[in-house]
Amino acid sequence: MLIDITRFEIRYQLKSPVFVAVFLIFFLLTFGAVTIDEIQIGSTSAVNINSPHAIIQTILVWTLFGMFIPTAFLVSGILRDSSFNTQELFYTSPVRERDYLIGRFIGGAIATVLAFASVPLAIMLGSVMPWLDPDLVGPFALGHYAYGMFVFGVPNLMIAGMVMFSVANLTRSNMLTYVALVFLLIIYFVASEALQNPQYRNVMALADPFGFNTYAEATRYYTAAERNTLLPPLQGHLLGNRLIWVGVAVALFAFNVAIFRFRKAGLKRFGRAGAAAVSPTAEIEHIVLPRIAPSFSRRAALTLFGSRVWFEIKGVVFNVAFWVLLALGIFNTLGALIFSVSAYGTPNYPVTRIMVDLIAGAFSLVPLIVIIFYSSEVIWRERGLRFNEVIDATPAPSWVFLFSKYIAMLCVLAGLFLVVMLTTMLVQLTRGYSEFEVGQYIQRLVVDIGLPLAFIAVLAIFFQVLTNNRWLGMLAVMIVFIGSLVFDSIGLEHNLYDFGGSPWSPYSDMNGYGHFLAISIWFYLYWGAISVILLILSYLLWNRGTLTPIVTRLRRLGGSFGPATAIVGLLSVATAVSVGGWIYHNTVIVNDYIPGPAAERRAAAFERGWGERLLDVPQPKITDVSIDVDIYPKTRRYEARGQYTLENKTDAPISRVWLSYGEAAIIDQHAIDNASLSEFDADFGIYGFDFETAMQPGERRDLQFVVRVENPGFRNSDNVSTVNYNGTFFNNYEAMPSIGISPTAFLQDPQARRRQGLEPIQRAYALEDERRWREHYLRGDSDFVSFKTIVSTSRDQIAVAPGYLEREWVEGDRQYFEYVMDTPILNFYSWLSARYAVAERDWNGTLLQVFYHPPHNWNIERMLEASEDSLSYFSDAFSPFQYRQFRIFEFPAYQSFAQSFPNSIPYSEDIGFIADLRNPDDLDYVYYVTAHEAAHQWWAHQVMAANVQGGTMLIETLAQYGALMVMKQEYGEDAMRRFLKYELDNYLSSRGSEALEELPLYKVENQAYIHYRKGAVIMYALQDYVGEDVVNRTLSRLIDLRGFQGDPYATTLDFLDLLREEAGPEWDDLITDFFERIIIFDLKATGATKRALGDNLWEVTLDVDAAKFVADGAGIQTEEPIDYMVDIGIFTRDLEGSISGSDHVLFMEKRRVNADQMQFVISVEGEPVWAGIDPYNKLIDRNADDNLTPVSLTN
Amino acid sequence: MSLLSITGLEKTYKNRVRALDGINLDIPNGIFGLLGPNGAGKSTLMRTIATLQAPDAGRLTFDEIDVLAEPQKLRAQLGYLPQDFGVYPRMSARALLDHLAVLKGIATPKVRRQLVDTLLEQTNLTVAANKPVAGYSGGMRQRFGIAQALIGDPKLVIVDEPTAGLDPEERYRFQNLLSEIGENVVVILSTHIVEDVSELCPQMAIMAGGRILKGGNPATLTAELSGKVWRTAIDRALLADYRAKHQVISARLVMGQTVIQVLSEVQPGSEFDPADATLEDVYFATVRSASGRAASQAE
Repeated sequence: MLIDITRFEIRYQLKSPVFVAVFLIFFLLTFGAVTIDEIQIGSTSAVNINSPHAIIQTILVWTLFGMFIPTAFLVSGILRDSSFNTQELFYTSPVRERDYLIGRFIGGAIATVLAFASVPLAIMLGSVMPWLDPDLVGPFALGHYAYGMFVFGVPNLMIAGMVMFSVANLTRSNMLTYVALVFLLIIYFVASEALQNPQYRNVMALADPFGFNTYAEATRYYTAAERNTLLPPLQGHLLGNRLIWVGVAVALFAFNVAIFRFRKAGLKRFGRAGAAAVSPTAEIEHIVLPRIAPSFSRRAALTLFGSRVWFEIKGVVFNVAFWVLLALGIFNTLGALIFSVSAYGTPNYPVTRIMVDLIAGAFSLVPLIVIIFYSSEVIWRERGLRFNEVIDATPAPSWVFLFSKYIAMLCVLAGLFLVVMLTTMLVQLTRGYSEFEVGQYIQRLVVDIGLPLAFIAVLAIFFQVLTNNRWLGMLAVMIVFIGSLVFDSIGLEHNLYDFGGSPWSPYSDMNGYGHFLAISIWFYLYWGAISVILLILSYLLWNRGTLTPIVTRLRRLGGSFGPATAIVGLLSVATAVSVGGWIYHNTVIVNDYIPGPAAERRAAAFERGWGERLLDVPQPKITDVSIDVDIYPKTRRYEARGQYTLENKTDAPISRVWLSYGEAAIIDQHAIDNASLSEFDADFGIYGFDFETAMQPGERRDLQFVVRVENPGFRNSDNVSTVNYNGTFFNNYEAMPSIGISPTAFLQDPQARRRQGLEPIQRAYALEDERRWREHYLRGDSDFVSFKTIVSTSRDQIAVAPGYLEREWVEGDRQYFEYVMDTPILNFYSWLSARYAVAERDWNGTLLQVFYHPPHNWNIERMLEASEDSLSYFSDAFSPFQYRQFRIFEFPAYQSFAQSFPNSIPYSEDIGFIADLRNPDDLDYVYYVTAHEAAHQWWAHQVMAANVQGGTMLIETLAQYGALMVMKQEYGEDAMRRFLKYELDNYLSSRGSEALEELPLYKVENQAYIHYRKGAVIMYALQDYVGEDVVNRTLSRLIDLRGFQGDPYATTLDFLDLLREEAGPEWDDLITDFFERIIIFDLKATGATKRALGDNLWEVTLDVDAAKFVADGAGIQTEEPIDYMVDIGIFTRDLEGSISGSDHVLFMEKRRVNADQMQFVISVEGEPVWAGIDPYNKLIDRNADDNLTPVSLTN
Repeated sequence: MSLLSITGLEKTYKNRVRALDGINLDIPNGIFGLLGPNGAGKSTLMRTIATLQAPDAGRLTFDEIDVLAEPQKLRAQLGYLPQDFGVYPRMSARALLDHLAVLKGIATPKVRRQLVDTLLEQTNLTVAANKPVAGYSGGMRQRFGIAQALIGDPKLVIVDEPTAGLDPEERYRFQNLLSEIGENVVVILSTHIVEDVSELCPQMAIMAGGRILKGGNPATLTAELSGKVWRTAIDRALLADYRAKHQVISARLVMGQTVIQVLSEVQPGSEFDPADATLEDVYFATVRSASGRAASQAE
């Protein structure tokens, strides 16, 4: 019996068009993802497309999309008989309930797994395709596929299937079943969000129903080599997660078997619950037919429409599924709010911008799923209830049914976002923030988020009508969604064919909607018109009565246009075509539309043509700069008139000088003394000038130029412009000329270079390459230059640039500022303009200022304090501060960074101005970022690094060091652990994404995870070992040796030489390990016991494991003997909660560790509770969490 | 007077079943009975007339309306009770009728309320009017069905198998309801129950295999068979022999004996007694001879 039912079910499912469609689509999409070079799931330039990592990631991603497969195959098994009304037949036949249920389940499960098997199959076949980059394909290993399928693929489908099956079985409601699916997805989303926050990682690794985050957690620190070869061992949280969720699935299955009863089934329709009283059997004497004739006036039609809309809305709203969905919406919002973190775990003030961004992030996929499900539900409602023939035979026009259903769907979305908005407002209130920007909420939720969803809802309805099949309709929407992701990655990027697409439209408190709103509206107008067309088509293709095959309906389509549909249809087509044309005009003709692959080809063409010809051609250098800039915020444009003095610093005459301009530059004029334009390439902005008489060594000549940057119309993407209505920020790279060319424009990604047939790139020149010691890494065409600028802006704004304000005046409606630097600076500076408020204070005759957006006044004083503390420390420790002012300028949140120019620090509104520092337990990263940027006034603006490997270590790592020392001075040594753990975690998790090769710190090739993150950990440990004064003396001597000049610029060799001299030979090995090798420790406290010695004295016995590894550039580790002095610490409480103070530290000393397993016996005063090895995580350790252990009493 | 005129209607399903095989019918005011076995194509024909399904070929007019070209016009004059229908859960008869009245173009709330009250009364549903229709018994549900079909003063009422599954009392009540309606408008009653037709319909047609086999007044059709129907009781084992020798139109067990009726111009044998011709005999004779023809064609 059981086997028969199972067989019947499998046969039924495998023959259904849905099975075939799912299998084919999943196969083709996966195959595409594997074989199209530009699409990468889990693979990188260094991680193979068939590596275990890529296989598992691909399977995981597809289980998310594939969650509806069990809905179609498993749940429909339960719901099918009630929808086809055959259930009485089945339920009363002598089939045993259990057999029926288990049989259907097994059959559906097998169909589900078979459909999903298309994914691994597609990876296997895809990875043997001949056109693949052979460097990206590893050897075939069946085990990797089996692991992916049986640890993640099959369990995930069964978990999702079982949850939905249970809901279906209990409620017999399609909609609640879908809502259950949304619930699972939201757990996943919340878990993903929370995972960014280290303290929640363990919980979330267990909670994620799909094990997506669990896998991420288990492989967090995997290097590229490990991602290519290792499967995470099935233990710990990974095993726990799988056991929990498979357990849940099994328990649900048992539960279903236990409760399943035929007679309960379909209670609602066939039961007699609440049956009407049997009416008395009175004879009907005479029928008087009510002779009320219908009216079909326009007014009646509107009444009819209104009534039907209300009816549909009630149908949706008076359904428990809707309310469960709203509750899930709140849950998802709160999850995002609680777990979302800004930098270093410190929350932001809940400004509305952040709230809406958060909603947008948390609800990227959920509303789409809601739309997909609701579309099938509302469209098929009457058919599901078998009421369609009654209403289809009424004279109500079809558009009434269609539009009322659409409006009901919009109400679901509106309800969802309304609830979400109220939730975030409540959160704002509870965090003591009550400036509700309701306008921003409504505008952004409706325009940014709502409209695209409203368009997709039309599409979903259209597909439901077109395909005549609930599942095919859902699948079609999903294909469009996945298709747009695929299109995007293969260079089909234009929003004109990405359904509902529009350019990214960021919001900034400083600049509000800026120019973005108008751009969005054009695109929404276009998609709105297309949606109207789709609605008309849906109306004309609407099935009235019996379902009619697609082909028949399409054949009849032409004849079914009436005057109204024809007119509205034509108007919509006209709107779509004209608005589409306008968009095309703006995005392709007025502006350049260069999709990814075209940009890649262009970069390759530049390198082949100009790169090889001009790189390293001897050129004069810029020595003096004077640029006048007029900024026009309202029209988002600026004009610059500049003059450079060029000097031939080579020892040979130069007869031709090459100018190159940034892409945004429009060149109005340029001229060089005694030279004329001889060759140019306007496409790449390259201009060659021949001198009438060659420029002799030491000779100086002037270059004059007039350039403009305009932002005409709008672009298909990347509409963020440097000039804004409020909050302009641009630097001289955007439009001002450079001399010669820079290799930074060359393609960097190794895979992209292979695609373009280019040789592997040298990311940086070799450290030992002395020819490069006389140029710095920012730009080769200038050393230190003199600088002055007159900048003008609109009258209501303040314009700033590096230099001291010499003059300030008004001319017409323009405000002018003249800034002059009195000492030479690097040829890198920026201009900003905005409606600023200014806070300032004096520090020893130096003016400290913060220019900020007036409402962002929370952390201004803290920034000034940090500036003062930093400048004091660095002046004492390194060298005197070279300027008389130090200014911080806020700029819009379109970018999130701070950047240090001479005495000027542009600082994004996103990374400190809105940080909520009221809780002293939160890490004060505003202080840290400010200190870091202040340190750059020394490390960059006093000592600049040569254009060789290790350059960014001298700039960024040393700025990190400076910031750490200022923080240590402010918060104390015992508070540094938390910050350093973030840096350590970031370094270790980034290693796996390395595209080329991880280098030791002293040879870092502009690798951010090394020069910032590893650099911070290493420098902190260094000063801890050799002493802060030793490091400071080293740095002070480095400034003496290499400061303010470029003959030569500093290298890490200079630094290491000085360090070794200052530290002495006993630290030689440590310095080698820290800077010249990649060393990873594995330190672990395995247990600790304590014994009371009386008098509040205790003896602690601590057991530790210790190991030391050296890693190569690919991340392959080799163990080597350890012999290190390592911190041993004993504490009165867990360090997780220890933010400041030192009362909890009973003992902290370095002890020699020179064996794999060691035991330390230490006496302390006070009762020890925690003990550990390297408790502050000063050393780089892949498991930083096991360094501490609770101390237990000995028996 | 209204007239529904059907000419050359054809419909073949994807599985090659010819549901409508050249239907020609003219249906005037009054109740028109469409009698046929299950699978005869009755429902297809009903749905086609009710504008819920498009035929492959043929013409369909109701008075001046070309139904296939302008279904919306017919819908404005149509009352349709489908063979099998569900309802929205938790909705009362009153609310549902009110909503359907809106859909049928009765826009004024007051008029609508009166109409719904009248209909509920006429169909004897007033007592249960505020209870969910989903909980109604079969008979109540069918009465609800006819109530909704009567909204909007229809000139054409189509009722598809309305009496199937009703107990005798409910069926009787339902028939009364129909006969009252049939005085003013065209009512098409599709059924496989002969009594429905013989008791209600001045005009009828017998349909099988997608064709109209016979049509006319039930009494006339019955009269045609008068004196040609013979009956006898036989041993069950001999049924096949009799079928081979005679045109057996029905065979049924009566008190343990097999009683057969045979169609014959003259007395077929001494064991046969003359029997009164009924509409049922007409029906069986028509359907049997058609399937016999079909069978012999197939051989």
